Amino acid sequence: MAATTRPVGRNRPKRKESTLIWVRFQRPHVTEMNDWIAIGALALVGLLIPLAMMAVSYLIRPSVPEMSKRATYESGEVPTGGTRIRFNIQYYMVALLFVVFDIETVLLFPWAVTYTDALAAEEYGLLHALGPMLLFVAILVVGLAWAWRNGAVQWAKTPGQVETEVDRP
Amino acid sequence: MSSAVSTLAPLQVGEPLLPERLGELTGLDQLGVGGELIAAFIGAFIVGNLMLAMTGVAGPWAKRKITAAFTDRYAVNRIGPFGLLIIVADAVRLLAKENIIPEDADRPAYDLAPIIVASSAMLGFAVIPMGSGIQLADPEVGLAYVFATAGIASIGLVMAGYASSNKYSMIGGLRAVAQNIAYEIPLVVTGLSVVIFAGTLQMSEIVAAQAETLITIGGLDIPMWYAFVNPFAFVLFVAANVAEIGRNPFDIPEAPTEIVAGYQTEYSSVYFVLIYLGEFLHIFLGGAIIATVFLGGPAGPGPAELGIVWFIVKIWAVFLFTQWLRSALPRVRIDQLIEIGWKGMLVLAFANLVLTALIVGLLEADADLTLTMLTVIFA
Repeated sequence: MAATTRPVGRNRPKRKESTLIWVRFQRPHVTEMNDWIAIGALALVGLLIPLAMMAVSYLIRPSVPEMSKRATYESGEVPTGGTRIRFNIQYYMVALLFVVFDIETVLLFPWAVTYTDALAAEEYGLLHALGPMLLFVAILVVGLAWAWRNGAVQWAKTPGQVETEVDRP
Repeated sequence: MSSAVSTLAPLQVGEPLLPERLGELTGLDQLGVGGELIAAFIGAFIVGNLMLAMTGVAGPWAKRKITAAFTDRYAVNRIGPFGLLIIVADAVRLLAKENIIPEDADRPAYDLAPIIVASSAMLGFAVIPMGSGIQLADPEVGLAYVFATAGIASIGLVMAGYASSNKYSMIGGLRAVAQNIAYEIPLVVTGLSVVIFAGTLQMSEIVAAQAETLITIGGLDIPMWYAFVNPFAFVLFVAANVAEIGRNPFDIPEAPTEIVAGYQTEYSSVYFVLIYLGEFLHIFLGGAIIATVFLGGPAGPGPAELGIVWFIVKIWAVFLFTQWLRSALPRVRIDQLIEIGWKGMLVLAFANLVLTALIVGLLEADADLTLTMLTVIFA
């Protein structure tokens, strides 16, 4: 049954065997770190490019300080009031919702990686491979449904909703 | 289970990565870890500047040309052939602008935000297989790493919005975060539905898995690109990606007709260039993820050496698509955006994941059962 299935994921035959394996075995102490050295190098380059641009700009740009040039831009009017004031609570609500679902996606990653392998293995059936994930998603969907009903993901209230809220004790 | 053996096999079996090839080419690999560092830095320098060059062509020149073509106008055509030297002129012009910093700016955050936006966008390219052997690193967590680095920019945007001490910036920053987090989950969950097929997060493996032939039509081999295998996931992913990079119709963080320029209102000179650069890098990073995960990465007709050409063609196609949307679609409102994200895209993304898992599971588990299922569906 499972033995005849299409080879997927890690079961799939690897690509052509290059001499790389041999080279890597010669210097095993760098094999593990290699990837993250390169990523760190790109992080360094990614930092150096903006800094270099800032340095060039610093050398060639003028500085002509003037009265009210540095005033906060408010479409040409004299700015009124501060910026750090209260803002819409909805931004906070969706951020809370995000925390829940973002952790969920992190927990789903290992499942997605091993799913086809688990199916191919004889000892687990479809129910074993898929069931726990379905249950997990279902629990979170209940959470989403609750947030949906309570208007957490609804930006503006309809006049009807506003009225019922006022009526509530 | 025979696959248990191959799971424990050496981490990477495949073509050498760019730093290793450079190391072998220059003899730096004889110098131990120090040589490894230098080779990695040279490789990173090449990749970083490749992306910088593409951004340079896209920002001051291609974007204007494309928009002009859509709106039936002429665009930059005075300096150099096809106006290409505008890239140099604009670079000098923007860097030579006076850097005006608003009085109430929250200083360290205000200065750090453009750097974060620009450099975080660069990070994602480390694990992208660009073909012709250009790939800096290939960790097992490749896809998760790309999604993680693409998310860092939100921090930069909210810092820019808050530290500018400008009301437009503040609203722009808040909108940017609300939008990024609303569409990040559909994006990642849709990406997961592809991981089910590939069975790995490693980028080179995802690309290799798409090299197989899906179906042959009239002697023409259609490769198993996941855009063909699961077109629904592809459409979802592209839509979520447009929102992630904040382009039309999801460009409300900038919304020029409402909040001036959003989080970048108070930025001038080199800081403006950096934020602009970061945005374009993000468009290309989005294009690179789409190309890698759904369009077979650097695969294309012709010899394997042409890989980088096909890869660039694919990410420019995604760029062209975003510019097309920019010219064609109106902007959604913030309430519509949140509802599309949380009520529409999220539900569709989970439906896609569960259905994909179910179909793959049934196909793998039992062919007879699948036949029965198909009969039931078509009956």
